[in-house]
Amino acid sequence: MEKQLIRDFEKSFENSNLDSKKINFKKEFLNKFIKEGLPGKNLENWKYSDLSKIIKTEIGDLSFYNNISPPNKIDSSMYLSGFEHNSIVFINGRAEKIDLQFEEKDKVKISEDFELEKTSSNINSLVNLNNAFTEKNFVLTVKENYSFKKPLVIYHYTNKKIKSQNLNLRLNFELEKNTSLKLIDILDDFSEKNFINTFYNFKLNQDAILKNYKVDIKNNSNIKYSFTNIEQDKNSLSETFILSSGSAFNKNEINCNLNGNYSSAFVNGILSLNKKKHHEIRTSVNHLTESTKSYQLIKSVLENNARAVYQGKIFVSSDAQKTDGYQLSKAILLEDTTEFNAKPELEIYADDVKCSHGSASGSLNENSIFYIMSRGLNYKEAKELLINGFLLDVINKITDEEIKNLIKSMIGLKE
Amino acid sequence: MLKINNLKAKVGEKSILNDFSLDIKPGEVHAIMGPNGSGKSTLSNILSGKKGYDVSGEIKFEGIDLFSLETEERAHKGIFLAFQYPLEIPGVNTNIFLKTSLNAIRKARGEKELDALEFLKLVKQKSKELKFDEEKLNRQLNVGFSGGEKKKNEILQMSILNPKLSILDETDSGLDIDALKTVAQGVNALRKKNNSFLIITHYQRLLDYIKPDHVHVLMNGKITKSGGPELALELEKKGYEGLN
Ligand SMILES: Nc1ncnc2c1ncn2[C@@H]1O[C@H](COP(=O)(O)OP(=O)(O)OP(=O)(O)O)[C@@H](O)[C@H]1O
Ligand SMILES: [Mg+2]
Repeated sequence: MEKQLIRDFEKSFENSNLDSKKINFKKEFLNKFIKEGLPGKNLENWKYSDLSKIIKTEIGDLSFYNNISPPNKIDSSMYLSGFEHNSIVFINGRAEKIDLQFEEKDKVKISEDFELEKTSSNINSLVNLNNAFTEKNFVLTVKENYSFKKPLVIYHYTNKKIKSQNLNLRLNFELEKNTSLKLIDILDDFSEKNFINTFYNFKLNQDAILKNYKVDIKNNSNIKYSFTNIEQDKNSLSETFILSSGSAFNKNEINCNLNGNYSSAFVNGILSLNKKKHHEIRTSVNHLTESTKSYQLIKSVLENNARAVYQGKIFVSSDAQKTDGYQLSKAILLEDTTEFNAKPELEIYADDVKCSHGSASGSLNENSIFYIMSRGLNYKEAKELLINGFLLDVINKITDEEIKNLIKSMIGLKE
Repeated sequence: MLKINNLKAKVGEKSILNDFSLDIKPGEVHAIMGPNGSGKSTLSNILSGKKGYDVSGEIKFEGIDLFSLETEERAHKGIFLAFQYPLEIPGVNTNIFLKTSLNAIRKARGEKELDALEFLKLVKQKSKELKFDEEKLNRQLNVGFSGGEKKKNEILQMSILNPKLSILDETDSGLDIDALKTVAQGVNALRKKNNSFLIITHYQRLLDYIKPDHVHVLMNGKITKSGGPELALELEKKGYEGLN
């Protein structure tokens, strides 16, 4: 892999207009990645999902050079219909179209150049890979006191014209004081057997509100990793919702730092998996100051050799008195061939805190199925009804009604 | 309407029902009384098609072999079981469940499904008749219902589905005296239309309000004694041990 990495790195930046300082800086990340390699189960973080092995068996050797200069045609059928929204379209990693038609032009700033140095510490090897290869760093800034009028949908679209097996994408968002943004990520894949590595960085200043909905429901053979970092100042709120279902493998990692008093973070998610899919949600919510709050609810429905993993950590520093932290995960295993691993972790260094966590898994209750069938519904309908009921309370955690209904219809959930 | 011949049921090695026979004619009300663990709920479950029992013998419902029908097909044909312990179904709205259930049955029978408005009218009328608090219908099915409310909800479902044969498995247990009377009203209203009932109870009290045509004593998996309503009174006095 080393030779390929160096070759592809050189190819990627030979005609680039980045200055040599930046390229050298990127090279450092490349070298770090070369040293550490793809993560495997020798690392605690990856013990339930051996990415290095999964990539080896599902894809084989990776290539990294992705020529994003030629434009792609946008297939308008990819857009969500019946739902007014702004959009950014990425096709095979290339920003194809940015359309913020519902917003005031001077209230939103998009720039492509970003001081890499500022935000890239040594998080993990995949973030290093990302930092090495991402040519452009998108930064979207919401200006003080401005609330987005309509949601922003980011379409992450891939097709068979993709040039490399590895795709890296880096997105940064800065929400200035007293702003709000609803962001929906739609993963829409027509490519096969690619490793897609995304890095999100959110900075929420005082009183900012971020609602981020990550939707992966299209069946595809890609392997995905996404790292989301959220920094939160005083009285800011982040709501992250993950609908994880379509890809062969997907690991969503959320790191949230509650740096300001009265800031709060919500992470809710559904892992609905079949056909050997293997998805993981790993969270790390760090309560770093007084009076902060976090809430996490993750539910999984598994069938046909699928595997779901939830590693959820709540960290409470010694300064973080009056922390309120809650975490619960539940799984329904529809078949014996499925597996659910939960690793809840509480690390608490303050004494005046309210924290709880719990995890439960089991099969569908046959008595409940019998009860429903005795009222005229067949086995399949009874099962669906129970699963819908099981998932409904996570869906109801979505605080935006319009988006809640959108997501309900996406997964065919009836009330 | 329902004809059971030499029904045997086992779970694993344990024999629960043994040479059980019963014949219920249209419009008849049969009561079954029997000690705890005698097999009453097992009988109800088997009639509704619950899996997990080894069964032999014969059950015919309107001439059809019941064993050939799945649970939901039995519901479509008009068999209803009011559960001894109704299940809580989180995340499923009671009203919507009732509508889904009714329409599934109507559809299977080739009848027109009810639209939201027609259903609302029906459910309002039935709730009123049974003094069932309509507000509860907007809650999740049986979740947070009291024991008595769950039982009343079963009877509401029965009235809405209008079954030919209703099996009431200890519906009276846990009901207050007023609720008992309204439940009896619900049963008697359906009975007028030539529907049949199998009423499982421990108490003769319910039978003051629903006059049974036949009373049977179930012990050790079979009917040991049958008679008219007076048998229930005798049982109340003497207990199962005192019967000969
Ligand atoms: N699935 C099962 N596995 C093992 N034993 C069972 C099973 N179902 C029922 N039994 C046993 O069969 C017997 C009859 O049970 P059943 O529930 O039918 O009794 P019942 O007459 O309804 O009692 P009660 O008046 O307490 O409701 C009991 O001894 C019970 O423990
Ligand atoms: Mg019983």
